[in-house]
Order: sequence, then C-alpha cells, then structure tokens
Amino acid sequence: MACARGDRQALQQLYQREGRYLMGVALRIVRQRQQAEDVLHDAFISIWQRAESFNPARGEGRGWIYSVVRNAALNMVRSGARQVHVSEEAAEVIDDQAALAAYASSADPFELRADLGKLEGCLGGLEPARRDCILYAYVEGCSHGEIAERLQTPLGTVKSWIQRGMRTLRECMA
Amino acid sequence: MSTTPGNGSNINNDFEDIDALAGEYVLGTLSASARAAVDARMRTEPALRDAVQAWEARLLPLTALAPPAEPSPALWSRIEQSLGPVISATTPKAAPARPSAVANWWNNLNLWRGLAAGGFAAAALMVAVMVTRPLPTPQYMVVLVAPQDKAPGWVIQTSSSNQLSLVPLGTFEVPPQKTLQFWTKADQWRGPVSLGLVKQQGQTLRIPIDKLPPLEANQLFELTLEPENGSPTDRPTGPIQFIGRAVKVL
Repeated sequence: MACARGDRQALQQLYQREGRYLMGVALRIVRQRQQAEDVLHDAFISIWQRAESFNPARGEGRGWIYSVVRNAALNMVRSGARQVHVSEEAAEVIDDQAALAAYASSADPFELRADLGKLEGCLGGLEPARRDCILYAYVEGCSHGEIAERLQTPLGTVKSWIQRGMRTLRECMA
Repeated sequence: MSTTPGNGSNINNDFEDIDALAGEYVLGTLSASARAAVDARMRTEPALRDAVQAWEARLLPLTALAPPAEPSPALWSRIEQSLGPVISATTPKAAPARPSAVANWWNNLNLWRGLAAGGFAAAALMVAVMVTRPLPTPQYMVVLVAPQDKAPGWVIQTSSSNQLSLVPLGTFEVPPQKTLQFWTKADQWRGPVSLGLVKQQGQTLRIPIDKLPPLEANQLFELTLEPENGSPTDRPTGPIQFIGRAVKVL
C-alpha cells in the first residue's frame, strides 16, 4: 500500500516537474488548450499503465514520456480533431537556434546533452526549406499538406524535401 | 569538429525503407492509418521499433522548441480521478518489502532529475581524452566538453589496442551512496556501453577494451553520477559529470 502511494506520488512529481513542458509540446501540436489537456491526461494514464512494462534499456525515461505525449497529440490531430487553419499560425517564427542554445544550458539527461550539439549542427547544415519542413512537422505537428500550404510549395516537393532532409540528418548524426 | 567523409553507409534498401518510415512516424507526417499500421508493426518488428526509438532519441531535443505552457490546476485532479483509488489493480504486484519495478524506475527518474536540477551539473568539467593507438590504427585526441564549467577533469589514453586508461587530473567529490560510471558510445552503436565504475578517487583506472570494437572518430565518452553499485540499467541514469568525443589526430 505504501508502495502504491509512493508510486502515485512519484507520478505526481513527474507531472509537476515535466507537466508544463509536456503541455507546451502538446499545445504546439494540437493548438487548443482543452485538447492539449486531453492529450496530457491520456498520456499520463498511459504512462502509468505502461510504466510496469517500461524497459529502460529500450530508451531513455524522459524521452519515452515525451514520445508518449507527442504520439497522443499526433494521433489526435491526424484523426482530424484539429480545427485551426494553418494560415493563422503561419506568421510564427521558430527561433530554433536560441531555443536550442537555451536548452543546452539547462540540465538534461544523457542523450539530450550528448546529441544536442550535433542535432543543432546538423539542422543548421540543412537547406533552410528542408529544415523548416522538419521543424513544422515535429514541433507543430503539421502534415505534408499543411507544410505545403505554409511554404507555398507543391506537395510532392515538400515530401521529397522531408525525405532528403531526414536522410541527411540521419547521416549527419550517425 | 571534423567532418570526415568516408564512413560509407552501406545500408541496404530494407533498412532504408524502415528507417524512412520510422523517421516520418516520429516526425509526425504519417496519416492516421499509416501511424496505426506502424504501431501495429512495431509490436512484432524489432527493427522498426529500434528505428523509431533511434529517431525519437535523435529528435527529442526539438521538444524544447515548444514554449512551456501551464496546464490548468484541475488537470492533475482529473488524471488522479482516472487513475482510480490509490490502492488499485494498476498497482504492480510488488512484495510488501520490495519496491516495485515501477517505484524503482520512478525513483530513479526522480533521482537523476533531482540531481540535475540540484546543481551537480555545475561541477561538470571538460575532459581531454587522448587516445594513442599503435599504427596503423588511427590516433585520436578526444576533447570532451561538458556544458557548464570547462576545467579539464580526466585524460583517457590507450597504450595498446586492448587497454584504456582513465587518468584523473584532479579530485572530484562524489556524494555519499553515489559513484561515477564510465560510458562510451560510438556513433553507430545503439546505446552507450559501460566501461565500469570509478571507485577509487584520484587513481588511474585501467579498462580492458578488447571486447569493444576499435575506437573511432567522434566516439563519445562520459562519466555519469550513478547509484553506488552503478546504473541499475544498461544505460546511464544519472547526470553527466564529464563528457567528450574522440577526434582523429593526424
């Protein structure tokens, strides 16, 4: 019983510590607070239920939690729940360099710290349009079509930019 | 940073396809049905699951690009309600005296996050790693830079291809019930490999490396703060104290 309570407290601590960051990730993808909170809710239930089968050898703990939240958010928007028009958001600029630099100075676990510099460098090495595609997709949950709309670029071009960009990124980080 | 070409990737087409699919899954550009198909395949295809996890790890730092947002105060109560009463069937079957696997993991998470937030990272040092190997194997000098303080902490040398020495340049205070654990990871490795615990402060640690693949450029070395008997998993769980990558010396 004490164990059960302890687990619950640990989950709550995790929520208190990471909640605002996870909420930020979800909100950026689903765009609406209520939906983002639904994502967070579902993700924490899922984290709780799956923690027992969680195998740390298969991935870093913190990364896993972020993946659970991103997947829940992406599932929501891909199933058509997102209502916002892309053009309303198109003016937003992602200041990736500044954000990554700020992130680098905060304390973070192994994989982040170790690979951050590389990711930053590799992203910086991509052609800007390909980099934007990747960031719009990952950070904002944009589909191919939404990115095409934002960049005023044919869908096929966007798809191939993403494919090549991802391949370049993987080779650069290898 | 040397950008040495020639690490030719002879990746076969299968891998390429799986990796491209995994990449777009993680990126989020797949349709709902394609996402569901990947979810289903991952249960039976370890290669796909590994590729997805590799992409998750690669892109994870990008989550920092989303500005934090406070959830409403009611959200946690809602989550708690959905979890049900504290004494519930979701509690893992733990013997009373033993912490459950879940508790272990959470506590672990608490531990390393707490430590990271607690300023241990401020003690992070820059590690100069000098790796000398007999010809014709390439020689490496690895300067490992940790984020905060940039004082040199350790030097790594190899005098032969089967032993590596970790030489301290100063003393480093390890908190009670903690130890430094030494890790390495080459680029193509799926995860870091433990090279052992640094139990004796101020002494050179000699480590056999004949079971490891030859050292390579950009190979990562680091010391993390772990529980007394080392990481409970085969991965680092504590904050990085010293870190650096090998670079080829001409």
